[in-house]
Amino acid sequence: MTGATATTGLGSYILFSVSGTTYALPTAEVRHMEMIEDITRVPNAPSFVDGVVFSRGQVVPVVNLRARFGFDRVPHDLRTRLIVVQAESRVVGLLVDAAREFVSIPADAVQPPHEALAGMSGRYVEGVASIGDRLILILNLQRILNFADPLPADPAA
Amino acid sequence: MAKILIVDDSATIRKMVRASLRPLEDAEFVEAGNGLEAIEQIALGPVALIILDLNMPDMHGVDVLKFVRRHHGCRDVPVIVLTTRGDEASRETAMTAGATQYLTKPFVPHVLLSSARDLLPAVARRDA
Amino acid sequence: MSQEGAPLDEISFSDFLDDYYAECDEHLMGARRLLLALETSIGRGPVNRSVLDELFRHFHSLKGISGMVELRAAEQLAHHLEDYLRVLRAGEAEPTRDGLDALFAGTQTLEQVIAARRAQMPLPPIDAIGSRIAQLIAMDAAPGVAQPPLADAASRAPLGARRWHISFSPSQELMARGIRVDTIRQRLAGAGEILSAAPRVTADGAIAFDFVFTGRVDAATIAAWQGDGVQIEPAEGTGGIAPGAVSDPLPLDTDSPVSPAILAPSHVVRVDLTRLDDLMRNVGDLVISRARLGETLGRVERRLAPAEWRSIQENVLALDLQVRTLREGIMRVRLVPVGEIFRRMPFVVRDLAGETGKRVRLELKGQATEVDKFLIERMMDPVLHLVRNAVSHGIETADERIAAGKRPEGTIVLSAVSAGDVVRIEIADDGRGVDATAVVARARAGGLPVPAGSPDAATLLSLICAPGFSTRELSDRASGRGVGLSVVKSAVDELSGAMYLESEPGVGTTFILDLPVTLAITDALIARAGGDTFAVPQGSVREVIEVATAAMLQVERNEMIAYRGGALPIVRLSQLFQTGEAARDRLHVFVVGTGSGALGIAVDRIIGQREIVVRTITDPLVRVAGIAGATDLGDGHVVLILDPAVLARQMRDRPSRTYTAGGLGR
Repeated sequence: MTGATATTGLGSYILFSVSGTTYALPTAEVRHMEMIEDITRVPNAPSFVDGVVFSRGQVVPVVNLRARFGFDRVPHDLRTRLIVVQAESRVVGLLVDAAREFVSIPADAVQPPHEALAGMSGRYVEGVASIGDRLILILNLQRILNFADPLPADPAA
Repeated sequence: MAKILIVDDSATIRKMVRASLRPLEDAEFVEAGNGLEAIEQIALGPVALIILDLNMPDMHGVDVLKFVRRHHGCRDVPVIVLTTRGDEASRETAMTAGATQYLTKPFVPHVLLSSARDLLPAVARRDA
Repeated sequence: MSQEGAPLDEISFSDFLDDYYAECDEHLMGARRLLLALETSIGRGPVNRSVLDELFRHFHSLKGISGMVELRAAEQLAHHLEDYLRVLRAGEAEPTRDGLDALFAGTQTLEQVIAARRAQMPLPPIDAIGSRIAQLIAMDAAPGVAQPPLADAASRAPLGARRWHISFSPSQELMARGIRVDTIRQRLAGAGEILSAAPRVTADGAIAFDFVFTGRVDAATIAAWQGDGVQIEPAEGTGGIAPGAVSDPLPLDTDSPVSPAILAPSHVVRVDLTRLDDLMRNVGDLVISRARLGETLGRVERRLAPAEWRSIQENVLALDLQVRTLREGIMRVRLVPVGEIFRRMPFVVRDLAGETGKRVRLELKGQATEVDKFLIERMMDPVLHLVRNAVSHGIETADERIAAGKRPEGTIVLSAVSAGDVVRIEIADDGRGVDATAVVARARAGGLPVPAGSPDAATLLSLICAPGFSTRELSDRASGRGVGLSVVKSAVDELSGAMYLESEPGVGTTFILDLPVTLAITDALIARAGGDTFAVPQGSVREVIEVATAAMLQVERNEMIAYRGGALPIVRLSQLFQTGEAARDRLHVFVVGTGSGALGIAVDRIIGQREIVVRTITDPLVRVAGIAGATDLGDGHVVLILDPAVLARQMRDRPSRTYTAGGLGR
């Protein structure tokens, strides 16, 4: 399942926030969103994986995006959401602080990520868009899900 | 109106035959997917030309031909049989059983068209 | 020649591709269905001729239309398939396993060629399958081979079934109402079997069609059909065909492909495995809902009058039974005879024995034993591996065998036996047995840790199955021989099975694979360890014991207890998974493995036994060794299913490793 191509027309995205920053993923990659209850820990899983949950009958891994991007984890609250995404045959849940709205982003509003955007989430960002006065970081799902990607030494390990 | 009966178990080929013969004026087409249906069409009204596939399930084209030749007012109806390339035996049998002409499949559309024109004198005289 | 406009060739070509593809789909589906029917009937008596006839027809048609649209590759391939069917139909050969495989492969390649053309992609090559079929034709068409007779379709009509003569007279009026000879034919095919169909000219020069038919016909039907131009009369009664004098009924050519009987629907249905998976998931949901219902009802029991409660209980019990039956039914759909794995083996053995200059006989037992289809697919290669291993390393050359006082021909027995939830597959040979010294030497040379003293069977097995272990040179490894059996072990582990070795030098070797029969619903013991709940499949547990923590001995870094005259190493799950631990007086221990490979996995408490639905964990992020899957015990919370065999192996191999859980840290 490919996301909206950045080169043509208008792309439809869903916005969510992680540690104060707004990110986006193409809606084509998002299956649904839900509130999370309890997550079952999986021993020996990568440190940014909180565990697994059942989502619509399927066992789905929970990737904590805060952890993935190098931020500290925080307790869940009423706004915490699990965004269930699909990348080829994989179904994975992304745990975010809050899910916001759907937007359409015109292709010409998307710029490649600035060098200065390095830092943890930088490696997962494939484009930057400005909507009004908001800065939106468009994510590359594959890189987020590819756990062969070296992580910083995780202090929790 | 000349009624042309197209008999072949392949819907694709029936369509192709019909398209090949479309330039014929004053011709109407009926199709049959097997021998029994073909004979039924003949029972329902006179036919001016039959394009007949030989290799059909349930009733071989040769048997249809024999029935048409022996038992009905269709005795003299021109029949173009479509035979498989290399199947000499069927071709022999068909000609002996009374086929007017044979074409091998895959057939070339304009060859089929010219053969049909030649065998439909009334129609052919109308054009050119 | 008359004049015409632009040649139609180009136009006809592309306009008809859609029709072509649609028609191909029909023929290919028909061919596949028939091939399946053929496959199930091989070896069970004479082959039904009409199946071969229909198959021939499909390939013939595919050849014809492919030629018309000039898809040469498809035309040629269909031609090969048609030729082979012609040979088979002529009764010159009985379809063999090889032949059937080639037909399947050819049909599949044909499908691929057409699909590629449709997607405007490069066409797959057809030469290999083409020449394979050509070879089969050459072989099978050899005269002088005694062949079993082909069954005649007409003789299949059930004895004692009532025969009827049906005649239909077409007319413009009937045609206008949509009633044609084909309509009648379809009605008859739906109500029974058409034995013959022929046209006839009636005394007054009209045309009628006569059918001989066996099937269900009642008075109401007869009356209703009369209005549609159909006359029905019982065959015995009238002694002749109904109204209108018979003039010269047309004899049907016996060598033209007339199949008077409409082919009886094949009893085989081909089902996409993903659909079965969906069905299974649905049934799994049903099982879970049933469990949840049980828990809810348990909570309201005390608020109900006894009579009400009893009636609810009755309903629940009935529901239980029905869900169980449904579950078993669905399971059975996925169950496939293990013979699917076995059927390739005779050829493998024959080929390999030939290559290595040995004489080997293969015996197959228990081919009808049924296992889940997924298991078949997963175990196909590992079993093949073990069989090849037996031929290459187990069986000696004829000379060696004679010198050892054995029969020159070696025997390999491949067997499958089911006992409850487990199917045991054994690969046994009467060859030279495992040379413990050579194995140990090889292991040491490869840097594998080898315990002191003479190794027992379990140790030998784990050495042989270690990754990178091989008793042959690298060059041999390239040819696929002498490659360690680690691939077998990991497949067995993946399926939550177990593997054992029995061997006696000079006598023979037996590999034993214990695998769960079905993968989806299984009995499990539910255990709590350090605040988490886990499920342990019962099939992998040899025994459950209760142990006083005080009785556990500390030996170096391991804990052990006295067990059955020996010592059983214990690993605590709470330590394994870093779940945190409260001091306890007593622990429950699952004993897994046997002999010196036995290990006890200690948990806080076993809280019960449940039938669980196994959900697979597929995403690589959470696929960890030692976790076999996940399940739901009724509250929507994921409970991990352990794989004790894997845990045991890991513990044995790396006793000093501590396991860390994913970063939440409790």
